[in-house]
Amino acid sequence: MKKESLKQTIKQGFAGLFHICKQELKAVFKDQGVLIFFLLVPLAYPLVYAFIYTNEVVREVPVAVIDNSNTALSRQFIRTIDASADVCIQSHCADMEEGKNLLKETRVYGIIYIPESFSKDIASGKQTTVSIYCDMSGMLYYKALVLASTNASLTLNKKIQIQRMGNTTERQDEVSTAPIEYEDISLFNPQDGFASFLIPAVLILIIQQTLLLGIGLSAGTARENNRFKDLVPISRQYQGTLRIVGGKSLAYFLIYTLVSAYVLCFVPQLFNLVQIAQPMTLLAFVVPYILACIFFAMTCSIFIHHRESCLMIYVFTSVPLLFISGISWPGAAVPTFWKVLSWIFPSTFGINGFVRINNMGATLPEVMLEYQALWIQAIVYFFTTCIVYRRQIILSRKHAMERLRMYRLRKLIAKTSK
Amino acid sequence: MSTTTYQCYLKVMRREIFRIATKPMYLFCMVIAPLFCFLFFTTLMENGLPTNLPAGVVDLDNTATTRNIIRNLDAFQQTQIVAHYPSVTEARQAVQRGEIYSFYYIPKGTTEEALASRQPKVSFYVNYSYLIAGSLLYKDQRTMSELASAAVGRATLLAKGASEDQALAFLQPVVISTHALNNPWLNYSVYLCNTLFPGILMLLIFLTTVYTIGIELKEKTSKELMQLADNSIVTALIGKLIPQTVTFFIIATFYNVYLYGFLHYPCHSGIFPMLLAGLLLVLASQAFGVFLFGLFGSLRLALSAASLWGVISFSISGFTFPVMAMHPMLQALSVLFPLRHYFLLYVNLALNGYPAIYAWHAVTALLLFMLLPFFFLKRIRTAMLHYVYIP
Repeated sequence: MKKESLKQTIKQGFAGLFHICKQELKAVFKDQGVLIFFLLVPLAYPLVYAFIYTNEVVREVPVAVIDNSNTALSRQFIRTIDASADVCIQSHCADMEEGKNLLKETRVYGIIYIPESFSKDIASGKQTTVSIYCDMSGMLYYKALVLASTNASLTLNKKIQIQRMGNTTERQDEVSTAPIEYEDISLFNPQDGFASFLIPAVLILIIQQTLLLGIGLSAGTARENNRFKDLVPISRQYQGTLRIVGGKSLAYFLIYTLVSAYVLCFVPQLFNLVQIAQPMTLLAFVVPYILACIFFAMTCSIFIHHRESCLMIYVFTSVPLLFISGISWPGAAVPTFWKVLSWIFPSTFGINGFVRINNMGATLPEVMLEYQALWIQAIVYFFTTCIVYRRQIILSRKHAMERLRMYRLRKLIAKTSK
Repeated sequence: MSTTTYQCYLKVMRREIFRIATKPMYLFCMVIAPLFCFLFFTTLMENGLPTNLPAGVVDLDNTATTRNIIRNLDAFQQTQIVAHYPSVTEARQAVQRGEIYSFYYIPKGTTEEALASRQPKVSFYVNYSYLIAGSLLYKDQRTMSELASAAVGRATLLAKGASEDQALAFLQPVVISTHALNNPWLNYSVYLCNTLFPGILMLLIFLTTVYTIGIELKEKTSKELMQLADNSIVTALIGKLIPQTVTFFIIATFYNVYLYGFLHYPCHSGIFPMLLAGLLLVLASQAFGVFLFGLFGSLRLALSAASLWGVISFSISGFTFPVMAMHPMLQALSVLFPLRHYFLLYVNLALNGYPAIYAWHAVTALLLFMLLPFFFLKRIRTAMLHYVYIP
């Protein structure tokens, strides 16, 4: 007898779960606002971001030159700088004032100053100094200018050395100018690009933020529409915390498997970003991430009492979350306090793990910490969601009972007064 | 202004101040959220330039010379050698585990070959998936490699009887001296916070402005508001927005004082032009918020649009990735973002201290944003008087 009832409970439970899942899916696709966050933003936003950064690097930063030496050697030096991909010599100025004016008009972002004694110093075997002045409104201008002029000076230095050395063979020239050769290798982002560095982090963050917004929005709607301004409606199927939490999260999970496939696989492909993830590793990693995000969002949705509140509360957090994750600002330089705080958010582990899997071809053992942390988050947030929903169910039942009692009381009064 | 209009303004403003004071949402968006972000970013990037970033070494040669190279590398400000690995594979795995950002590889026989003039080759591997850390470590390792090579050359020259100066002049005839104008410390906090703060503020102003108008429709209080304002939409909007303008301007003043007065970030124009720029930003953002509401007509759509526009601002304003390097279409679009103009204004005024006339276009653009609401005043008025809220 008892076994039968347990079986029935499970059966009923699953029926309820699927019913709630279906209701939730219906609600999502009927609600334009939720659709914006579940579909439109994840579809369009990655494209916009990737498009903004698609050029990866800054080329041909305009620069002014003040060549007081004006000799064959200084002109050669300038030509070498101009030949680099990073910098473009925009104008030759007669003096510093002219150069400064160009800086003020933002026609150039840097000045290269070659002193009068440039050739004379070199000819007489003395060191000479070329000064570069760089506008610091963007670090990339600075990087381009420093790199181009350093490379040009190294090339020139080598040439001068060879001339002075008077070696007999070419091999001798090579060895004496660079006794130890070196080579720099850019790992996992061969063009040192901005998109390959920032976009993977943004993609992962978009999943979390849109889930927060979408789930918050639908929670706000539920509260506004339900009779007693409660999160959970009173109806036969909406009984049992597990059923409600399970049904709702299943609906979101179904939507986000598709969304994640698009965001994490298709978008990087479209913009030719680095993508060397192993499919199974990626899959194994993304599942706990989505779950953690869903339950995190469901727990947070308890604070959302009105539809519009979620936008006001969540949107601005995207920027701090991106910085705290350790991508744009090196993780090693994040103060401990913020690091610990960042462990609350699935995005921190999600971004770190995904970047390593996707950009660096890491396998699960290499992202074990993040992987485990995400599962822990998923489980913890699942329980907090259950607790929170349980309270809501009790609350809504209480409201209903109260209303019923009031109704009966009123009826009684009406009867007695008759 | 006649006394009745004046009274209307006062009534609307009084009502709005009461609303702001009683709804926690306003407190959160206007005060708590911006202040939290200001504190967050400045404490996060407290160091300005990250130091002691973890790097590894694969030293297969292991002689006094190579150990010296590694010690010198470790002594660089940005680099900290945290581990030695027996092979490149293991170092690569450490990179994949995120333990180190780069590693320096010295193959077997390097010292011997260098002494025998057989030109050995060392290499360094930098993980550019972390662009800032990667760039900083690249700089140190490249300098170190140049120095290692020069050290061998210097020893040879000294042995041949050259003086120290002669050797230096021979090895490096041309020296580059770099002057990073107005941010000589390459302080990332200076570089980022000056635009992140107004960006966050702008985003919140967009949202609050749309919210404050939309909520009137949603709560069906718009007719009451219009009655107080004598059915004039201009009175209603200005009366509603002035208390917020004041609050946001106080917040803008706060971050200016915090950045330039307390943290002593470069402010070559003096603080007053920056306060004016802050006021321009607040007004332009509010106007843009009204414009968005007028354009979309519904609270939800306008809020979504405001948040999307606000978040994209951070990228398209070009303070991290220059606008110059973007697609020409995006270069043109960037003009439509108030933050872009504020950024140009900040660079011109506080960072570089140039006369304001060089940024006339940014000021004009911000002023033009303030004209945007006029296109939709009539529409908002109709909405306020006759519209029924659709969720």
